[in-house]
Amino acid sequence: MSILLLILPFIAAIALLATRHLPARPIALTATLANLVVTILALSTFNGDGSFNYEVSFPWVSSAGISFRLGLDGISMLMVLLTNLLAPLIVLSSFNRQYNLENRYFGLVLLMIGALNGVFMALDGLLFYVFYELALIPIYFICAIWGGANRIQITLKFFIYTFVGSLFMLVALLAVYLKTPAVALENGLPEIAHSFAWEDLVAVQLDPATAWWVMLGFFLAFAVKMPIFPFHTWQPDTYVSAPTGGTMLLSGIMLKMGVYGVVRWMVPLAPEAMQGWAPVFLGLAVTGIVYASLIAFKQSDLKRLIAYSSIAHVGLIAAGVLSWNKAGMQGGMIQMLNHGINVVGLFFVVDLLERRIGSRSLFDMGGIARSAPKFATLFMLVLLGSIAVPLTNGFAGEFLLLNGVWNYNATLGALAGPTIILGAVYMLRAYGLAMFGETTRHTSEFADIGLREWIVLGALAGFVLVFGFFPQLILNLTDGSVNKILGAVQF
Amino acid sequence: MISLLVLFFTAVIALFAGLFKKRQWLQPLALTGTGAALGFALLDINLPSAFNERYASMLQFDTFALAFTVVALLATALIFGLSRWGFRELSDTLGDNYALFLFSLCGALCMFSFTNMVMLFLGIEILSIPLYVLAGSRRDDLRSNEAALKYFLMGAFATGILLFGIALVYGSTASFDMHRIHAVITANGHSPQMLSAGILLILIGLCFKVSAVPFHMWAPDVYTGSPTMITAFMATVVKTAGFAAFYRLFSTAFAGAGEFWEIAVAMVAGLTLVLANTTAIFQVNFKRMMAYSSISHAGYLLLAILAAGQPGAGGALLYYALVYSVATVCAFACFLLVSEQNLDETFAAFNGLSKKQPLIAATMAVAMLTLAGIPPTAGFFGKYFLFAVAFERYPWLVILAVINAAISIYYYFKVIIAMYFSAEENAYEVKIPWSIRLSLAAGLILIALLTLIPSSVYNLI
Repeated sequence: MSILLLILPFIAAIALLATRHLPARPIALTATLANLVVTILALSTFNGDGSFNYEVSFPWVSSAGISFRLGLDGISMLMVLLTNLLAPLIVLSSFNRQYNLENRYFGLVLLMIGALNGVFMALDGLLFYVFYELALIPIYFICAIWGGANRIQITLKFFIYTFVGSLFMLVALLAVYLKTPAVALENGLPEIAHSFAWEDLVAVQLDPATAWWVMLGFFLAFAVKMPIFPFHTWQPDTYVSAPTGGTMLLSGIMLKMGVYGVVRWMVPLAPEAMQGWAPVFLGLAVTGIVYASLIAFKQSDLKRLIAYSSIAHVGLIAAGVLSWNKAGMQGGMIQMLNHGINVVGLFFVVDLLERRIGSRSLFDMGGIARSAPKFATLFMLVLLGSIAVPLTNGFAGEFLLLNGVWNYNATLGALAGPTIILGAVYMLRAYGLAMFGETTRHTSEFADIGLREWIVLGALAGFVLVFGFFPQLILNLTDGSVNKILGAVQF
Repeated sequence: MISLLVLFFTAVIALFAGLFKKRQWLQPLALTGTGAALGFALLDINLPSAFNERYASMLQFDTFALAFTVVALLATALIFGLSRWGFRELSDTLGDNYALFLFSLCGALCMFSFTNMVMLFLGIEILSIPLYVLAGSRRDDLRSNEAALKYFLMGAFATGILLFGIALVYGSTASFDMHRIHAVITANGHSPQMLSAGILLILIGLCFKVSAVPFHMWAPDVYTGSPTMITAFMATVVKTAGFAAFYRLFSTAFAGAGEFWEIAVAMVAGLTLVLANTTAIFQVNFKRMMAYSSISHAGYLLLAILAAGQPGAGGALLYYALVYSVATVCAFACFLLVSEQNLDETFAAFNGLSKKQPLIAATMAVAMLTLAGIPPTAGFFGKYFLFAVAFERYPWLVILAVINAAISIYYYFKVIIAMYFSAEENAYEVKIPWSIRLSLAAGLILIALLTLIPSSVYNLI
């Protein structure tokens, strides 16, 4: 099952990248839908007690303790669900644009999706690292080939920034790896191998000094990816210049790699340093939430506004997870899925507006609700989810997250709490400017959404409601794994 | 040993074929010769034969030597695949060119298999002297002449220092034999000051050969001035030979000679990494960038020398050398096609290549990603293995290397940016000769195999 999730997109990607004349759109859609079916099948027989389901393991470089090992516990399953739920929608929303060299575009998107699935399933440290970096290459090409103005400088900055972060993670992984007990190999070679297996790495007891450095290394990688203040500077520019499909992949799925990395790798591998580092990390995360919310206020470019709001939302997820208690952790889980749904919906709306109006500036918009009521309704639903109104999907997550941060430290909780109100204000202000008021010359002939757009936005709005009414669906999925990981890693 | 003989006789036949103007025979002949040698080397790794015993205590084709022989022969075979195109403007010296390549390769084989320091010295000379000639093989090109002269003067200087070092080590231990030297050192029967001085001088001589900072000055000019085929050979086979000899000597003869030389090597490695990478950023000429890139890779490879003798260090060196060689040959092959179309050696020559020549562009992109060490390419595993063996004792150096790996992205990606994202289009459409296609395909397959099953090479030694 887990292998299938990798192989399907990779095969489709290679087929599309190697040829010029295959029908790219049907292949991409079929591959992502097939992956969704596999995910649902995997969910149907999933055992949520915190053990690894569908585990596969092949030796890869056995003399260096590296194996190709995949498995899914509740947390991984949730991330895989997020990836494969959004993937068909991202592909479908790309159909609205005409890209030149379409085969390459969809090939790279599929490659990215395969790599993301790999990141969330890898149970071998080096394999995780390889997938983590592999995800970076297609998104780099997507942004740099099909992006907007200044794309080359912006994407190179993005690439080098994230690559530097990940390299520090490699060093940190290496440091822990060398501390695992060495085993003599059975086939008679004189080498002694350490192990990259997740359990072996977790079992290592680090001395405080090493743990301090190891955690810093991991944090640099994940903080750049999420991004956490002050490592966020690549993000707004990259989101704005990337093509919509790329922005959706980045914001909807890729930045969850950072949060997932914290939960799966950073804290379990170096819990000894958590006591010292957690206040710093949480402080940065909360600073980022406030800072990004304030900046988002001043934006008139809708895409940039959502980019900053995304920093705030992910900052809250990070803060909740790093507070390392049940409420924060479960809130982080539920919110990772929901933020993915909401942010992809919002970027889809931006793309739709940009295609119709030719501008992303809020001042060029206005009065759209009158000519496009269906669009206005669906946009409203997604937006409500994003500002965490009760009975939408954002509510339960943000509530639990704030609860978790509050339990860790009341001051930080009090600082982070009001940003939800801030978020509501700037998002509703944007909605008001765009949808109500006088029509401008750009929006006077605004066509309501077509069938394909309706499917994408309708599906996303549907998720907003479903997960808003039944957050328990997600909580049940991750409950066992979260309990297990919280129980195993104490400091 | 059979490989060495096969190569030598192929070279002699190539000389005669050139003499009798059998131009069209030369490439098949050279390819068959290297192919046969490669076959024998591979056979010997799997089924150790009596031919690999020590010859007069001079040469010993053990697994280490055979494995590196395979690396050098693979790289040379790939380069010979390009030679019909790369050598096409040579007229009457074609036979000599092939022969010199092969003779130089014989020297490399001696450097892989020596057990006696005299043989090391001879190997280096056999390797170098044909190269001095080859570097200047474009007789009417001023830069080629400059390259030959510079390479010759610097090379002679370096060998002089090396020879002086060997003499001092002999003075201290009364032997040229590696195992004997090791035995004397462990039994404390030597004079330590003289040995230290000797080892340091040998170190300097070898650093010249592998172009490590501060002994790298010759490399950029020589790489840029030499014909591209020769540059590819120097960047791959010569570098591999230098490092193999370096490793062989320091893991056998000087193991246990104290750690004083490690500090020197660590400093050299750090300097090499920082200087080469920061200088490469500013290059506009592709060959010059590759020269600095090759210097920077020497910095990474020195990590293996620092870990000499530890489990995994030899394997890491071998794996890195193979990956680096294959990727470098692929890069130079693409460059050869592109630059000669445009008469342009800068990055601008690659502008818009992905639209005109998607296959060449894709190969070049893979080569650049491999050299930059970006997962999941084989280059990443190469870097990883080196970092892993050096980390325990030199964590600061590994962190420095990691930062430099990040810097290197900037200049490797210049090529990718020109090929894929540039709006201009400079690249001509050319019909690519089948032999080059074959070489490139073989290179790509090798990189893919090395990515999928790194252990097949890494576990060899």
